[in-house]
Amino acid sequence: MSERDVSRELAPVKVTLDVNGTAHRLEVPAHRTLLDAIRDDIGLTGTKKCCADGECGACTVFLDGRIVNSCLVLCAEAEGCSVGTIESLSVGGLTDLQEEFLAAGAVQCGVCIPGQVMAAEALLQTNPTAKPAEIREAMSGNLCRCAGYERIVAAIQAAAKRRGSSR
Amino acid sequence: MTADPVPPERGAPSGHGAESYRAIGRPVTRSGGAERVTGAQSYLTDLVFPGAAEVAFATIPVGCAEIVAVDTSPATALPGVIAVVTAADLPPSASRFGISHQDRPVLASGTVNFHGEPVAAVVAETSDLARAAADAIEIEYRELPGVYNLADALTSDARLVQDPSIRPRDPLNDTNVLETADYAWGELEPEQARTHLIVENTYTFPMVTHFPIEPGGVVAAPTDDGGVAVYSPVQHPYLLQRIVADLTELPLSKVRVVAPDPGGGFGGKQTPRYEPLLAFLAIQTERTCRLVLSLEETFQLMRRSGCRIAARTGFTQDGQLTFHELSADFSIGAYADVAPRVMTKGSYVGAGPYRIPVVRVAARAVLTNTTPSCAFRGFGAPQVSWATESQLDAGGRQLGIDSLEMRRRNLVGVGEAFICGDHEATADGRWHESLERAAELIDWSEPVTPGRGRGIAVGIKPGATSGLSQSLVRLLYDGSAIVYAGTSDMGQGARTLWQQILAEELGVELGRITIISGDTDVVPFDLQTSASRSTVFMGNAVLEACRDIRLRVRRLYAEATGIDEADLTDSPGVMIGPDGAMPLVEAAQAALGGLRGEFVGQGTCRLRGVQGHPLGGDAAFYEFNCTAVEVDIDPDTGELLLTKHVTVGDVGTELNPLQVVSQDEGAAIMGLGHTLMEQVLLDDHGRIQNLGALDYRIPTFNDVAIEMVSDSIENNDGPGPYGCKGISEGALLCTSGAVGAAVADAIGVQLRDLPITAERIWTAMRAADARSAE
Amino acid sequence: MTQYRRPDNVEDVVRTLSDAEGNGRLLVGGTDLLVAVRRRPLDPLVLVDLKAVADLPPAIEVTEAAVRFGPTATMSDLAADSRLAAMFPALVAASRVVGSLAIRNRASLIGNICNASPAGDTAPALLIYGARVTIVGRAGERTIPLSQFFVGPGLTTCGPDEFVLRVDLPRPADGYRSAFERLTRRRGVDLATVSVAAGVSAEGSITLGLGAVGPTPLLTETAAAVDLEDVDAVEQAVKQLIGIATPISDLRSGREYRQAMIAVLARRAVSAAARSVGTKGPST
Repeated sequence: MSERDVSRELAPVKVTLDVNGTAHRLEVPAHRTLLDAIRDDIGLTGTKKCCADGECGACTVFLDGRIVNSCLVLCAEAEGCSVGTIESLSVGGLTDLQEEFLAAGAVQCGVCIPGQVMAAEALLQTNPTAKPAEIREAMSGNLCRCAGYERIVAAIQAAAKRRGSSR
Repeated sequence: MTADPVPPERGAPSGHGAESYRAIGRPVTRSGGAERVTGAQSYLTDLVFPGAAEVAFATIPVGCAEIVAVDTSPATALPGVIAVVTAADLPPSASRFGISHQDRPVLASGTVNFHGEPVAAVVAETSDLARAAADAIEIEYRELPGVYNLADALTSDARLVQDPSIRPRDPLNDTNVLETADYAWGELEPEQARTHLIVENTYTFPMVTHFPIEPGGVVAAPTDDGGVAVYSPVQHPYLLQRIVADLTELPLSKVRVVAPDPGGGFGGKQTPRYEPLLAFLAIQTERTCRLVLSLEETFQLMRRSGCRIAARTGFTQDGQLTFHELSADFSIGAYADVAPRVMTKGSYVGAGPYRIPVVRVAARAVLTNTTPSCAFRGFGAPQVSWATESQLDAGGRQLGIDSLEMRRRNLVGVGEAFICGDHEATADGRWHESLERAAELIDWSEPVTPGRGRGIAVGIKPGATSGLSQSLVRLLYDGSAIVYAGTSDMGQGARTLWQQILAEELGVELGRITIISGDTDVVPFDLQTSASRSTVFMGNAVLEACRDIRLRVRRLYAEATGIDEADLTDSPGVMIGPDGAMPLVEAAQAALGGLRGEFVGQGTCRLRGVQGHPLGGDAAFYEFNCTAVEVDIDPDTGELLLTKHVTVGDVGTELNPLQVVSQDEGAAIMGLGHTLMEQVLLDDHGRIQNLGALDYRIPTFNDVAIEMVSDSIENNDGPGPYGCKGISEGALLCTSGAVGAAVADAIGVQLRDLPITAERIWTAMRAADARSAE
Repeated sequence: MTQYRRPDNVEDVVRTLSDAEGNGRLLVGGTDLLVAVRRRPLDPLVLVDLKAVADLPPAIEVTEAAVRFGPTATMSDLAADSRLAAMFPALVAASRVVGSLAIRNRASLIGNICNASPAGDTAPALLIYGARVTIVGRAGERTIPLSQFFVGPGLTTCGPDEFVLRVDLPRPADGYRSAFERLTRRRGVDLATVSVAAGVSAEGSITLGLGAVGPTPLLTETAAAVDLEDVDAVEQAVKQLIGIATPISDLRSGREYRQAMIAVLARRAVSAAARSVGTKGPST
């Protein structure tokens, strides 16, 4: 190990990707995850890191329109892709969904919440009339240790209702 | 407590008293909530420290070993490495440290005592380089026969986890028993005569880990004045400040602790672990040093003590408890942390909130070569409650009395003693109301669908037995205000409550109140954020600071206007003078006049301990909860479906119903974790086998009951502001007991080992079938 | 340290793998691979991303006689495809329980089988449908039945400079029905403790694909037709079929429980398949 030339092996990969509508050109080590690139290289820290194994959902982002665990995507893989993070949602103030998270008491420590909001947003876009059981199933990749699950389901239902009535 | 317990100014409100308050009892949304839903909230690892060096640890893949030699040269030779530090490189002041026992080394010294204990630390320019260098360190070690469970730790020839020299004056230092606690009252002989049934069983509770969604970390930086600043998302910044000051031999004034809001604490972020090491690294390298923990590393940093409880319980024919004997061994890990206190306090209420003439509790904190256990929501109570609640049901089943009736017959009434002897403890709430409410909500009187089972259980936990919270409130000229309160807001929403108290007492709008916490340079002392104490202790301190301001406003207003102070009265948010009432903030502005300025109020809540009390003092309040569940068991696979989950807490007063329900449901679901699925599994070398999220399972959205109901009993009978009590732990105290009873009701067999997995249910059903076939 | 390559044609993929001298790892969804990479960041792996390869088969191609999956077919693609749901309900059911929604948006079907976990969710279903795997390497393409693809836990017959180009499933015969059953430790997102895919033909022969009960996913079928209405006969047949299972104890379950659960799940899967509506075969 000590024989190896670490600096050579850290030779960076050049990546161009779009994050929240802004193009970024990065040079990162090959093993750098999209999550770490978003947080450390681009400086958007709303996307959180917990398990780093794709089990908790704290790092959920949109990648070309679909939600993914950004801890299980290499930054290099995102070449030419469009990434949407939690910061992209609320540029014009809180979204209806975010307001409902607050109103329902869904936010405790808050670390899982950006991922929850992103997963919930994806759900509302694909299944705007989701029933509670469908919400639970769709959200079950997002862990909340404060266990605000009941509150989050209520928030998603309330947001769905608002969107339904404004349609 | 020296702060007034609940001076009700408008007559004691009855039931839901919210109508008479302007801000208290309202579903005010969480302070800091908008930041959290948008990702703007900065947790420790979101903070930017320009030029910070990164820290990584070198560890070995066994739980117990003698360190023979450490060759750091391969790491030192790598580019970007600033320092490689082992125990030998630390200054002499870097002694072992701890709360009750000074037993934890800053870095492993001589031996590794649990899987993941750091042997060396690398400081490097980037985290990749630090990791590469840490992996390059060559550690020569000799694996030792570690004790990884209670049975091994308690054999007469067990290897000692701690060398006797670590606690030279302790008579038990030649055993793995770190501390014991014994509670006893009543004469056994007369009770044996009226005992109709004796039930004797042994129960186990697994080691579980906190699994905070923020694994966290530590940053330490040398300061310009020769001191050190430590950034850590801790629940007890002032304790951390004291320990770092002691070890570095710096005055408190030169140790600044900044505690960003913890992203989930649950007791796991109370005590210092790697902070002293980071302080030394920062001082030594003269660099800002940053350690970012992985989730796996938190498994090696925090856990709940596992427990084995042997119980022997006597009942009369009509289900009254005659005696209850418990022997509880807590597997606490390699160092004390606060585990002796967990053992002492958890077993103190081991016999439950019951009327029992004779009780014998013997508990031990047993050292094992495992992650040092620490505080974890419930603080020892859930472990022993699992045994006691199950015993009540075991007795009830044999006597033909259901779980609800067993509790009706044994639960103490308000003011009645449930702990007897020299320091008796009495019920500080009308606990039967919670029991009856939960029974009603689960439809206890309705028949159960075949294949299903119902269970009901109660739990109790003593709140803080001593404490000190200090607060400052500044009412500014424009009617906005700043609160300085050292409580760590780790998800319970403490800031929201301080805002509500100010809005109530001073009439300041919620949105114009700023809360400052988490910085020992700025915020006055607070002992700790633990034991669901903050709403009571810091709440009373903030309340007192507000009342101090009201007094000051009245005086200055009198002085400024020439009105006789005796003609002025005030009530929350309002000043009443000869010409009628005016908002307090307007009176304050008038009083301050052209020079402007501000009012500064101070509040202190102090609860001194009681000499000779087994807990060091009476609990400020008790958390009481009743949980009732209904389960459906798959007869072929043993899979459990939770059809309904009811939790009712005795909360005193709901200051914020939204936050009460969030905390209550959260605790209840966390209780499902250790009840149904969570356990830290070790191999023969003491290694954690399910290290990480892939195989350590916590409840998901899909593991919650199909129907969940959280409710509260409000009698305004707590010692906190407006009659509140602490509420954050209640709903997980007896989850296991309730689920265990429901499973037994469904399958006719009682399970005694947690977690109650499908495999264990299936095994129990099969064994019962085999028995009945004989 | 990890290296990253993004070849744009199949030939280049093979060459890159060959140059990597055994350290090449194919990357599509990365949902298993990157979990491993995080734990061993210093290993000199060469990650070969297939997502920019232009001459791969399309993700999902449905023809008269078969369905073909290319390396980029994700679990979400499968889960959302109603054509597949009609023909291969056990496969679609399995694809819907792989990880979470966010995982399924990345995880690829072919990656799932190449990972060769004995507990892989889609393998039992692919086995009962007679999946054939086409592997490409320096010597060209070769096609083998999936049942010959798995060698042991994490091991396949795919060589270090080869990769799986496609998986083909023949359309089931008329009246063929299938179902999938799985047991997990918790209700939300989990790895399988035991999984079973069952197929029954119009004539009453039974095929089982078994997951997490042997060193590889297992395939087994009855020698003769069984009267699916006859509970005892099905029970007997299932009992015989699952005899090939060699479950072990691990973190997720003890051996004995696994052994018992194969029988329960197999019975349930066969019964669910028998009760379901059959498929229509090719070009009838």
